Amino acid sequence: MKEAKAYIETGILELYVLGQLTVMEQKEVEDMAAAYPLVREEINAIEIAMEKYAVFHAVKPTSGLEKKIFEKIAPSAANQPQTNNPKIVQLNTDHSASEIRSLRFALVACVGLLVLSFVALYAMNDKLGIANQQIASLNSENEKFASTVNYMNAANKDLQEIAAITDDPKWTVVKLGGTTIAPQAKMRIFWHKSGQHVMLDNTRMSLPENDSKHQYQLWAIVKGKPVDLGVFDAESQPEKLLLAMKAIGDAQAFAVTLEKRGGSASPTMEKMIVQGAVAI
Amino acid sequence: MAPTKKISLTEEDLVRALKGKETIAIQALYDMYSGALLGVISRIIQQPEVAEDLLQETFIKIWNSADSYDSTKGRLFTWMINLARNLSIDKVRSKDYRNSNKNQDIENNVDFIDSQRKITFNADTLGLRDMVTALKPEFNDVLNMVYFKGYTHVEAAEELNLPLGTVKTRIRMAIMELRKHFN
Repeated sequence: MKEAKAYIETGILELYVLGQLTVMEQKEVEDMAAAYPLVREEINAIEIAMEKYAVFHAVKPTSGLEKKIFEKIAPSAANQPQTNNPKIVQLNTDHSASEIRSLRFALVACVGLLVLSFVALYAMNDKLGIANQQIASLNSENEKFASTVNYMNAANKDLQEIAAITDDPKWTVVKLGGTTIAPQAKMRIFWHKSGQHVMLDNTRMSLPENDSKHQYQLWAIVKGKPVDLGVFDAESQPEKLLLAMKAIGDAQAFAVTLEKRGGSASPTMEKMIVQGAVAI
Repeated sequence: MAPTKKISLTEEDLVRALKGKETIAIQALYDMYSGALLGVISRIIQQPEVAEDLLQETFIKIWNSADSYDSTKGRLFTWMINLARNLSIDKVRSKDYRNSNKNQDIENNVDFIDSQRKITFNADTLGLRDMVTALKPEFNDVLNMVYFKGYTHVEAAEELNLPLGTVKTRIRMAIMELRKHFN
């Protein structure tokens, strides 16, 4: 108590209230006030006295200052009722404007995609056309190839048959030589006497090519009389290597004449191209 | 100004509202203390417009630094008046203020302001006048220099050419005299 009273009498509390102390000195006073209720009460009494002194020396501010201060301190509270409505309207228009803008963007994007799709479709169609053409040409090549294979298979079969015929003693090979009107011409036929088969060997045929109005006709000479064995064409690339003719079981010789297409009932002797006797 | 419109709160409620950032706190503070604060400010700052600007600044600072007020260290008004005084002293000492202001004889400042405004004292002032005049003027001068004019007690001692201990004693005597009248 004595310490507190002595402390009070130094006059430091008055300086404390007047804001005259350093931070260190303030701390000291605050510690003392916390420790001694008397010091606390003394400070409070000085404060109240100074407060009243200040109030008695008050100077009234001009009116309007209050409003200025409130506007600076709480501008949101002061402005809210006035700005609320226009803000909402602005927000709405802003919203729809941005919506229209985004829809516009979407529309432009859609048109862009559509154009792009058409371009892609056109390009794909073009490629498809090219692919179709390629498929068609491949198909025709394939057909050609297949027919070539077919032909070669047939040709191979015929050649094998020719080889078999020449090896078979039951077959007679008859060579026909050129006459005076066609000395270069020659050909050969195979004759199976007992089976009465006559086969024309196209691989060894060397006759002048006939035109579309004429055909060669093969005759068998039986006891001096010609017997029709059928017509054929002389081609550089014959369809069949081995050509079956009409059957004959007995013949002394064979001859070929050039006749009108389809053949004649009797041979035109002056048009005989080749002939050959059967060797016995 | 009709007194019924004034807002008045207890110290406790006032502090709670201020720290809670309730605008009613600043309204109450303004109604209760704007005159007292401007009384101090306008004795340091002589131009009324500048003084009112500073009052505005003071309230904004009170609002913004409410968190730094500690009720265990003193009353709210003490904290506020010290804020106002410090802002005013800073202003007086700033270059632009000194350049634009003729130096007024600082000792006559209170009387100068009072004679200019003629609004300082209310009806009760007469009693205070009596009290103040009853007080030895040399005691009251020291208090006024520190409380109203922005002097530090050290500067006051230099100005009055008195020992620091004497200045401290006079301040204490003056305040004790005030307490006799007010409390």
